[in-house]
Amino acid sequence: MRVVLAEDQFLLREGLVRLLEAFGHEVVAAATTGPETLDALCRHRPDIGVVDVRMPPGNTDDGLRAALAARTEVPGLPILVLSQHVEQLYARELLADGAGGVGYLLKDRVFDGDEFFDSLERVAAGGTALDPTVVAKLLERPGSTSGLATLTERERELLALMAEGLSNAAIARTLHLSEGAVSKYTTSTFDKLGLATDRSTNRRVLAVIAYLDDAGRS
Amino acid sequence: MTQDDARWTAVLGGAVVAVVHGFARSSVFAGAALLVPCCVAILPVLAGFGVVGSPWSWTNPWSWAGLVLIAVPVTLALAHPVAAMFRRLILRWTAVPVEAGYRKSPAPVKLATGHWWNGVSYERSLEDARRDQRAQRIREPAYWREVRWVVVAAVTIGVVCAVPGAAVVVAIIVWVSGSPSVVRIGVAVGLLVVGAVTAPWAWRIVLPLVRRWLAPTPQGLSVAELQHQRADLSIAHDAEIRRIERDLHDGAQARLVAVGLDLAAAERLIRTDPDRAEAMLRAARDGTRASLGELRDLVRGVYPPVLVERGLVPAIRAVGLDSPLEVTVTGDDSLRLPSPLAAALYFATCELLANIAKHAGTPDAVVTVDSDPEFVTVTVSDTGSGGATVRPGSGLDGVARRLAAFDAVLDLHSPVGGPTEITVRVPCVSC
Repeated sequence: MRVVLAEDQFLLREGLVRLLEAFGHEVVAAATTGPETLDALCRHRPDIGVVDVRMPPGNTDDGLRAALAARTEVPGLPILVLSQHVEQLYARELLADGAGGVGYLLKDRVFDGDEFFDSLERVAAGGTALDPTVVAKLLERPGSTSGLATLTERERELLALMAEGLSNAAIARTLHLSEGAVSKYTTSTFDKLGLATDRSTNRRVLAVIAYLDDAGRS
Repeated sequence: MTQDDARWTAVLGGAVVAVVHGFARSSVFAGAALLVPCCVAILPVLAGFGVVGSPWSWTNPWSWAGLVLIAVPVTLALAHPVAAMFRRLILRWTAVPVEAGYRKSPAPVKLATGHWWNGVSYERSLEDARRDQRAQRIREPAYWREVRWVVVAAVTIGVVCAVPGAAVVVAIIVWVSGSPSVVRIGVAVGLLVVGAVTAPWAWRIVLPLVRRWLAPTPQGLSVAELQHQRADLSIAHDAEIRRIERDLHDGAQARLVAVGLDLAAAERLIRTDPDRAEAMLRAARDGTRASLGELRDLVRGVYPPVLVERGLVPAIRAVGLDSPLEVTVTGDDSLRLPSPLAAALYFATCELLANIAKHAGTPDAVVTVDSDPEFVTVTVSDTGSGGATVRPGSGLDGVARRLAAFDAVLDLHSPVGGPTEITVRVPCVSC
């Protein structure tokens, strides 16, 4: 895959470049500021952009804003956001356009190379990868009023794993179910959330957004 | 006729009560005001001047020097008790509270630097801190105000309030000092009338005098208040630093040592026992992840990253998303405040939301952030059970004290049964 990397800290940037190359990916550009990131993402149109939230020049959320701007410019451009902390607020902003191809993980996740590259590939393929920390926070919230309230415990579990970005096969392994059972639960979940079949490519993303929206209604 | 009688009885009764009350109060105030002069006058007598004959004379300056030598320490020693007596009497008879205005001296606290803070100064040891606290008393403006009051009271209250008592005493002396005659009786009765007429009024000069000479000036109070706040901040700051130190020491530091040990062991084993080496490498990685998690929590408690990245309103929104409550946040996302103020308001809001989650018994809360050129206002409200109070040591009290450094006003409106609305208003000179 062709990767644009945006990370301002030298050690981390070099480490990530080495790691990406070790797994056979090509880093076509390594940006160190917000504007550079936006420029590199729009110019190279990579298979995926790996972006840090906090970057110069503002040292606030410059990286995140560059990534969001790039996705407005190039709809559906896969972006994996890495950060020292995860916020539901940012997760919702990233998922808001409903186009998928979004990941949002703690930097710690790169420790686990295989899992990290699974997420990377999933996002590049248009899926999602949300950090389990965000998902766990969502699960802590009490039940609410919308369609989600009608989900069974099993379906909520399934939705949480879907939010993390797991495939049906992976969900089946985690929940000790058959893949057939998982796809049955998936269908019933989609039905309860009112997600029509004809948009099947993005239904998983939409389900996650419904989840986030519901949890963060404010 | 009977009606008139009753009215006259009532008026007369009222007058008698007023005279008796006034007489008692005037006499007590006169006594309090003249306590110091009396002590000064009596001491030389007790010392035996009466026996050897008084050396007092207008032309002998040494006799005044002796009197001054007695008057100064007596005044300094009795200033505080006498002033306290006046404050108590005024509170009892006029229900007007008069602040002493002394700066509060908190118990000395040991700071992270190893020095002691006693609310006023830093000292090397606990004894020094206590000694300095005692020495501070003589430098208190409040104390010197009390000394001044003793002098002022003696020449004003000591004279005016003594009138009713003196009139009665003189009347009695006149009455008993010779055979009754029309003139004598007339003078005595005249004096009694003077005493009775002045009694209800004489003591009323005390309150205006106290207000003018004894009550602390607003400036004096605000300095005391500032000192208090500084001590509070210093202690809060110290506690915070110690918490961070402890968290780092017991958490991340200890874990990183363990990671280093695992790596060292893995290095030795990697050729001889690759399986165990691999397990140790995995443990090292888990340790790194755990210490990152701890550092993340620590950073969030020191200065939340969202606050740096987005500002106050989005940061409160993020708190709302993580909170078990349904929090509705309104406010200007682009509002930028100086970072200490933003952090103070952020943590205050977190505390208030946590309070709602804990006590209010409602799943909903509303946070509104308003700013105009004069004030930043954060309002946190809920429709819960109400009855919230600011008790010393409570969460709300802590919020109010931490915000005091920004001259913030915390306004609590929480009738029993709800709804509760808490408003924090900070003047923009702090912005």
